[in-house]
Amino acid sequence: MSFGSPYLTLPEFEYHRPETIDEVIELLQKYGGDAAVMAGGVGLLAFMKERLVSPAHVIDIKGVKQLRQTKYTAGESIRIGASVTLSELAANDVLRTKFPALHNAASWIADSIIRERATLVGNMCEAIPWVDSPAALIALEAKVEIAGSQGTRSVNMDDFIRGPVEIDINPGEFVTGVMVPDVPPRKSAFDKFNTGAEFSLATVAVSVTTGKERKARIVYGAVSTKPVRCAEAEKIVVEEEASRRTFRKAAEAASESVECVSDVLASAEYRRQLIHLITMRALERVFEK
Amino acid sequence: MSKIVLKVNGQTRRLETKDSELLLDLLRDGLAVKSVKAACWRGECGLCTVLLNGHLVKSCLVLAVEAAGGEVTTAEGIGSDGELAPIQKAFIEHGAAQCGFCTPAFAITLHELLRKNPAPAQWELEEAVRGLICRCGTYNQIREAVASASSAYAGAEKSQNLVEGSR
Repeated sequence: MSFGSPYLTLPEFEYHRPETIDEVIELLQKYGGDAAVMAGGVGLLAFMKERLVSPAHVIDIKGVKQLRQTKYTAGESIRIGASVTLSELAANDVLRTKFPALHNAASWIADSIIRERATLVGNMCEAIPWVDSPAALIALEAKVEIAGSQGTRSVNMDDFIRGPVEIDINPGEFVTGVMVPDVPPRKSAFDKFNTGAEFSLATVAVSVTTGKERKARIVYGAVSTKPVRCAEAEKIVVEEEASRRTFRKAAEAASESVECVSDVLASAEYRRQLIHLITMRALERVFEK
Repeated sequence: MSKIVLKVNGQTRRLETKDSELLLDLLRDGLAVKSVKAACWRGECGLCTVLLNGHLVKSCLVLAVEAAGGEVTTAEGIGSDGELAPIQKAFIEHGAAQCGFCTPAFAITLHELLRKNPAPAQWELEEAVRGLICRCGTYNQIREAVASASSAYAGAEKSQNLVEGSR
């Protein structure tokens, strides 16, 4: 090691590279709380350098073929495995055309070199308030797929993030992927405001189902401790005709009603201004011809 | 400690590594590949960028054991027949290095970009190097170097197509 400072080197651990989901579960059962699951490692290794976590065992799931796959079934869903990278998703045409909010979120995270390693599931599981993917996944009604020694279970993305870096996962379990339902005709968009590659100050994901009955989900990320939906803005978008006037009304409603926090990145008041701006931009994209 | 074998710039290397060792440390300390710079150690500056199995990665965020059995290319390995790669020559011609600390990372990243896309639009260029930081701020000279190297890569792509087309 070049410098030996705890902030530059990793704590000691044993590396495991299982090849099946069952092997991952076995390792998790064996090592329990001493183990951490790694895919791209972008978040985990950074956390370990900071000594926020020091697992004695690191389980690299990139050797599990099944988790590297993205599978789209028209009219049903797209399933994205836990080690699918953001670069792979950015290059995915089905995601771009059918799930634009998620495609936008995935292809604008961090930078192009990080996206070669970072995964969607990793970004989501970090659950740091300013990560980008959760808002998009909630807007698109995604479900998180989880495996453990008790079998598999699925959780609505709405409930998966409980608070900052706190997710609905039990010891011995890990996330195998996310499933996003394909419910045409649906339009969606994602937008964010950030000043550098790393931290978003506010994000928004909008999805509108335009069939017989119009339904809308408008979700904000990075403004509070976890992603939040805005029922007031959703109601306006559902009930009123799509126009700039309606968009402005929805943006104002969101700006007033979404609870924002002040932190080192931005004040709550500044975030309210950003909510107005990105809501307008996202709604215009969703409804553009 | 585990024994690993990997190819670095075309050469097969065998060495021992700790599970907790970073690819960055293995390259610099274990193999003395000094074009790979250690600066932020947290994936922000991008100056430790290398190619791992054909993908650009920041080697401070990759474990050395993950490269076992794989292939690593650094700025030392992008030239051919003892000559620098076109982007490296263009960096010299246009003075795209001031202190030079970021040069290897920019060179390998732009070499990859131009190989795939010899005439990148301004936004594509910016997107490709968003994860790299030049502290001296030679971005304008870097842009000039890319513009002048572009034709060399377009030519290479054409001859590559001809080779593939003749099969």
